[in-house]
Amino acid sequence: MNALTPEVSNQSLFFLIIFVIIPLTLSYFYQLGLGKNVLWSAFRGTVQLFAIGYILTYLFDLPARLGIPLMVGIMIIIATFHARQKGKELPHVLPVIFISLLFVEGSVLTMWLVFDMVQFRPSEVIPMSGMVIGNSMVAMGLALERMKSEFRDNNGRLLAALSLGAEPKQASHLIVQRTLHAALIPNVDRLKTIGLVQLPGMMTGLILGGVEPVMAIKYQLVISLSIFSSVSISAMFVTLAMYRYFFNKNKQLIEPEG
Amino acid sequence: MFRFEKVSQDPLTNLTFTIQKKEKVILFGPSGAGKSTLLYLFNRLSEPDSGSIYFNGKPINEYSVTELRKNVGLVLQAPHLFPGTVLDNLKYGPSLFGEWEDKNAKTLLEYVQLPSSYLHKDVSQLSGGEEQRVSLARTLANSPEVLLLDEPTSALDYQTAEEIEEVLEGLIKEHEMTMVMVTHNLNQARRLGDRGLFIMDGGLQEDGTIPDMLDHPKNEKLLNFIEG
Repeated sequence: MNALTPEVSNQSLFFLIIFVIIPLTLSYFYQLGLGKNVLWSAFRGTVQLFAIGYILTYLFDLPARLGIPLMVGIMIIIATFHARQKGKELPHVLPVIFISLLFVEGSVLTMWLVFDMVQFRPSEVIPMSGMVIGNSMVAMGLALERMKSEFRDNNGRLLAALSLGAEPKQASHLIVQRTLHAALIPNVDRLKTIGLVQLPGMMTGLILGGVEPVMAIKYQLVISLSIFSSVSISAMFVTLAMYRYFFNKNKQLIEPEG
Repeated sequence: MFRFEKVSQDPLTNLTFTIQKKEKVILFGPSGAGKSTLLYLFNRLSEPDSGSIYFNGKPINEYSVTELRKNVGLVLQAPHLFPGTVLDNLKYGPSLFGEWEDKNAKTLLEYVQLPSSYLHKDVSQLSGGEEQRVSLARTLANSPEVLLLDEPTSALDYQTAEEIEEVLEGLIKEHEMTMVMVTHNLNQARRLGDRGLFIMDGGLQEDGTIPDMLDHPKNEKLLNFIEG
């Protein structure tokens, strides 16, 4: 197989604007009011990607023991603040998310290195960690949003359970269960259809870069299962840590305040 | 059995009264008067801003919250059953305290006049009236000393409401438990209660026997409420 370095010229890149014009047109005709948002997102995404391209080039040249903690640390901090938006009215949500991400990334990285799945090189650890942290961030945000709506929708059932003598943990068992289910199900589905419906991004990238498909699949398995596990742990961690803030010390249901 | 001393919690202010053991008390008053708030205070689902509440001579905050709630059972306005079968709902409370015995299930259904074939029925298949009966049986499963009822028939049609009322009448006679019930329905108050507490504008406006209060109201606000 010939190694292929994908080369997209600046001129070709320019024509990507068509992909932005399509949703813009749709938004205009259907009065979706998304025009500004689409433009801003496309612009921001482009700038972010170019910036990260230059930053990665710089980081990959740094010694691993410096470049990896630096970039992983930045990713965790940004992901923490982003996931926090979904539950900013909840107390202590920031440290809970931060610790969950730190724990998840630490465990996954340890597994990769101990079992020699990934080399301790910035070019390997940073992109893979980005995927783990990013997916965990989304799962935690989903879990927080779902938990809030479950508490709102099940107010009567919670009161019924408490009035019968349930501890907050017992009263919110169903909510915790539903929250975790909602946060994990997209990942379970993704894992089920992996390779059938879509070729995962990392594998596609490796194949485009000239790596043998079987080798690319091995890498993809490492990352897919790492994501699966980290998403499960982080959603569980944040849900189990946060449900208690919907109750006060007298085991009464409250509106949490951050 | 229950003593409220200068209890305030929005919209209630400075409420003082005592409820004796085995009394059947009806709380009535206009919407938003704080009747449900009062029931939540009994069950400690809510905390007073000021004042003290005593249960059997002891401040309620000296009891374990869960034990108190077990002994002061509350039936909410809507049934809010838990997903699963009727049996799952009946055993919920007692199982929390490791006190469930399967043999109790049929008796509980008898209390609320439902056939035992309902035990394994999924709650999603029940009618509104059946749901409220199960909700009542679920509270009774804890064998509470006090039964608090928050307008248990208000969401039901006339005939179903009457059926539930009959169930309640039978239960009250048979078990001689203390009952505090919120209702808007004055005929229901007459049938089920022996003492009335009329609450309006944040305070207790009149306290007396139900026939006295309804037939010879002393308070103008109560008179307007009855007539209006």
